[in-house]
Amino acid sequence: MFRQSLLKTLTVLAILAAAIAYTFTTGYFGKELVIEAATLAILAISLDMIAGYGGMISLCHGAIFGVGAYTYAGLTVLFEVNPFLAFAAAIVVSAAFAFAVGAVTARTHGIFFIMATLAFGQMAYVLVFENKALGGDDGLAGVPRLDVSPLGLDFNNSVQFALFAVAAAALSYAAAAWVLRSGFGRTLVGIRVNEARMKAVGLTVWRTKAIAFAISGALAGLGGAIAAQQTMFVSPELMAWMVSGTVLMVVIFGGIGTLVGPIVGAVVWVFLKHEISSATPYWHIVAGTVLIITIVAGGRGLYGQIEYMVERRRLKRLAAAGVPSTATGREDETHA
Amino acid sequence: MLEARSLNRAFGSLVVTKDVSFALDKGERRVVLGPNGAGKTTLFNILAGELKPSSGAVLMGGRDITALAVAARARLGLARSYQKNNLFGELTVRENLALAVATARGAAGWIMRDTLSDAGIAEDVRDAALAVGLTEMLDVPVDAVSYGVRRQLEVGIALSTRPSVLLMDEPTSGVGPGMIQAFHQLMHTLPRELTVLIIEHDMDLAFDVADRITVLNYGEVVFEGTPDETRGSPMVREIYLGEWDAHA
Ligand SMILES: Nc1ncnc2c1ncn2[C@@H]1O[C@H](COP(=O)(O)OP(=O)(O)OP(=O)(O)O)[C@@H](O)[C@H]1O
Ligand SMILES: [Mg+2]
Repeated sequence: MFRQSLLKTLTVLAILAAAIAYTFTTGYFGKELVIEAATLAILAISLDMIAGYGGMISLCHGAIFGVGAYTYAGLTVLFEVNPFLAFAAAIVVSAAFAFAVGAVTARTHGIFFIMATLAFGQMAYVLVFENKALGGDDGLAGVPRLDVSPLGLDFNNSVQFALFAVAAAALSYAAAAWVLRSGFGRTLVGIRVNEARMKAVGLTVWRTKAIAFAISGALAGLGGAIAAQQTMFVSPELMAWMVSGTVLMVVIFGGIGTLVGPIVGAVVWVFLKHEISSATPYWHIVAGTVLIITIVAGGRGLYGQIEYMVERRRLKRLAAAGVPSTATGREDETHA
Repeated sequence: MLEARSLNRAFGSLVVTKDVSFALDKGERRVVLGPNGAGKTTLFNILAGELKPSSGAVLMGGRDITALAVAARARLGLARSYQKNNLFGELTVRENLALAVATARGAAGWIMRDTLSDAGIAEDVRDAALAVGLTEMLDVPVDAVSYGVRRQLEVGIALSTRPSVLLMDEPTSGVGPGMIQAFHQLMHTLPRELTVLIIEHDMDLAFDVADRITVLNYGEVVFEGTPDETRGSPMVREIYLGEWDAHA
């Protein structure tokens, strides 16, 4: 079950402080990296909610992200809709798309679930790729950023836009943590641990899964709508299955099922990629190696491993203080 | 309260449920006896909705529920415990019970509130824990508890949903005499209006709790009667052969 531990809070606050400090001190390209890390973190949080806590390894989160980006871009560029409305619409449309994915795939498990989500993602990709109105494989250019001049702000200023992206990531974490701490979050974990028993006590499992997907999709769409504003351009590549694969790698690299791990993963991933890509053309080899090491080392991920060790010490302290962490029950059992 | 009408089911050429019919009155305690492989668990799977019968019907409170899924039957008040522990492994005893209670109370979808800190849910969790003797174990992870405790929790989860019909599949399998004794007591503290169908190998327990007994053999109901009639039946005696002498 999700618990907003002290370690989680401190880690999130430390990353937040570092991101803000870095944004004010770095150059233009550094701010681009901050925005990229923030959007990737939002997408990774979104995926961890349903993959880490709900046990649903989705391979269409890139597509949901893309639906958010395209909804925002299409409405603002093609229909000149108010960017704020388009922003809200991007979140709603992504959530609706994700709900449909969650509802349709709810009965599938394991490899079939992964393939079903992949198929959904590819469908969205092809639909956008073939759609001339949406710019086909050229994409859509000239995407405006939110007009915040009434607030005396300007998102074409890269510091302000970077801070906006960081704030959105922090809010995404808070929203996901809120949901996971609720009764709904517990139910979601119950499904991952024992779906059959949840059904046996009366849960309409597909509905919980679909709603979880919708919430996750809303976050992914938020990330997409920010990404579209960052580059002021959208293309079908946003929806390619490679994006979904990358987010999954980021989540596992940081620590699946920890919610903070995906943020750590996203930040390290973006900056590592930048450093390595500027030195050698072999980023993908490094990324693959890092992922393999993560998995072979136990699969808990960078943050996940630290949390595991801290949590183990906490339980030991509790046990020493007299709270049972293991128990033998009654003495007259015949089974071990 | 719960009725089976001519249920049939086969796995390939193996007929596991053969024209099974019976009816439980409200509040009735019915024990199902039968040798290994007689089709008792399969019958439970059909009643609970985990397995579709090839023909026949299941009725609850006079309503045909044959077409209803597992969850829908559970929401009507049909709960079951499993022969093979079917728990929420990495969670604590309290979290296990709370998941069942919250679902039964329609709170599983709460997004603005936690279910574990809700007073009504906490009360149902405490009641269930008390009934199956897990009050001291509430904050222990299920992965860390003994087989016996898991067995208690298995029944606790089913009970915690406050069902009107409770199916229990060998609740005391593999536990020692002390725990069987505790289970006797539990059976006598259950609300009188609760209808219970229980698969039990322990004869003393079966005769102690049963209003009526149904005996299955090779998927067929071969006997139905009161505990006294069951004791006196040569056919049941023959099916149960060895075990019989030890318990009679
Ligand atoms: N899913 C299945 N597929 C094929 N055969 C099955 C299946 N489930 C049960 N069987 C077979 O059906 C028969 C009855 O099984 P069932 O589990 O209902 O018996 P039981 O009366 O509960 O036995 P026990 O006392 O050992 O628990 C057995 O021969 C079993 O091997
Ligand atoms: Mg059985």
